[in-house]
Amino acid sequence: MLGGSGSGKSTLIKLILGLLRPDAGTILVDGEDITLCDEQELTEIRKKIGMVFQEGALFDSLSVYDNVAYRLTEEGIDEDEIEHEVIRMLRFVDLEDAIDKMPIELSGGMRRRVGIARALVGSPSIVLFDEPTAGLDPPTARTICELAIKLRDLEGVSSIFVTHEMNNLKYLTSEYAIVDSEGEVFFEEEGDKLCLINTKVMMIKQGDIIFDGTDEELKLSSDPYIHRFIRGR
Amino acid sequence: MNPVSRFLVELQDITLLFWRMLRGFRKQPRYFDEMVRQMDSIGVGSLAIVSLTGFFTGGVLILQAYPTLEYYGAQSSAGQSVAITLIRELGPVLCALMVAGRVGSAISAELGSMVVSQQIDAMRALGTSPARKLVTPRIVALIVTLPLLTVAADIFGLFGGGVVAYYLYGLDSNSYITSLRMGITIEDILGGIVKPIVFGFIIGLISCHKGLTTQGGTVGVGRSTTDAVVLSSITVIIADFFLSKVLQGFFWEYAFLGRILDVRNRNSCGRAGNDLNGNTGDRVSERRSCFR
Repeated sequence: MLGGSGSGKSTLIKLILGLLRPDAGTILVDGEDITLCDEQELTEIRKKIGMVFQEGALFDSLSVYDNVAYRLTEEGIDEDEIEHEVIRMLRFVDLEDAIDKMPIELSGGMRRRVGIARALVGSPSIVLFDEPTAGLDPPTARTICELAIKLRDLEGVSSIFVTHEMNNLKYLTSEYAIVDSEGEVFFEEEGDKLCLINTKVMMIKQGDIIFDGTDEELKLSSDPYIHRFIRGR
Repeated sequence: MNPVSRFLVELQDITLLFWRMLRGFRKQPRYFDEMVRQMDSIGVGSLAIVSLTGFFTGGVLILQAYPTLEYYGAQSSAGQSVAITLIRELGPVLCALMVAGRVGSAISAELGSMVVSQQIDAMRALGTSPARKLVTPRIVALIVTLPLLTVAADIFGLFGGGVVAYYLYGLDSNSYITSLRMGITIEDILGGIVKPIVFGFIIGLISCHKGLTTQGGTVGVGRSTTDAVVLSSITVIIADFFLSKVLQGFFWEYAFLGRILDVRNRNSCGRAGNDLNGNTGDRVSERRSCFR
């Protein structure tokens, strides 16, 4: 999901999660209209959704382990099981070493990755990324995108990735992750023999959706606003 | 928005928060660990400042009241004068104000920065109700610990009064303690414990509400912290007046009436005190006896 600052991207994400209530209209999550749900039913629906916040939004009074374990601890799950799951998730974001650190000791990129690990605990079928790369250097931003690609191609998770950076768009719409025979994950670009169709682009301007289609269509769009957005001028 | 509707909206938000907090008791999980942790940081953490406040308040009460009492030849009721002022009014109110300053600000700053850094959103996204996880334990901790802190402040206050009376005015410590014991009725103590329960609730609810409705980044955190302390302090003082009035209706009036009657008795038949002294089962008359 693309859009300039203040175009309503984060608001849309919060609406999907039920953190905000819409004045009108319906929001379907897995075919269920969440606008009719009360807070308790929403809690049930939120279990299917993982959310990655802009700045990570880690609980700064809790360690990395407790942050990632939060959802499971709240559900009162067995401690051994929690530990196993937390380590699995931290391995997924490649942050096993930071398990005992406090959020304040982590860099921005690491905090974002812990945020992703926390969102993925409990294997949600939907993950929402709210500008996960904002304020990160290009290589770190790239690792975040790789995580999103891995989730999409290897874990079968549906996600909404909010961003306003064209680099992210390029990675997400043109690369895919595969596992080779040794279990090593690597990324390949789409080419003549393969074209990615599992990722769509949507563009928001002032709260309205002005574009909805594939990245190839986006590049061919004649809308002057989209043109400016892609080229940067 | 004009001030009246802003006040009404605020009142609605606070009431809703109260309602959600009450529902927090009904459902699992109840976060008992969190409550204990809050009691430790709110209660044990405030013990030092509250005791100091109590000690010096008791001291200054005697410091100021003793010369007047001496003028009327009533030095022996010094203990009673401190006891009633402290246990009924100053203990609960000063304690609540200190806690509003120390704990109220901490609560609203903590919750406020959690709002600003999206941690509250994250908590809701992870399926936890912030009202249940954050608000209920804090309010419960305040309701439980504030009366205990008040009792500590009262005790230190009475002790401080005694120290000043003994060292500065040379009052016999026996006479001070006797006057204390005669001056305090069980109703005074009960009233002095009911008050901080209400105050703790007020401080907790207002501070949590202010923290959770923080808007506008770091500046907003500062603003809601200030608001929380100011608003809860003022509300405590206003509530104190009405609470005192209500408590008077319940049981303090009896004591007051007794005292007035006593004065009348003394005026009409100079030696009424002796008749009353014989009646030791009546606490009111016990107190009256130490006027003489």
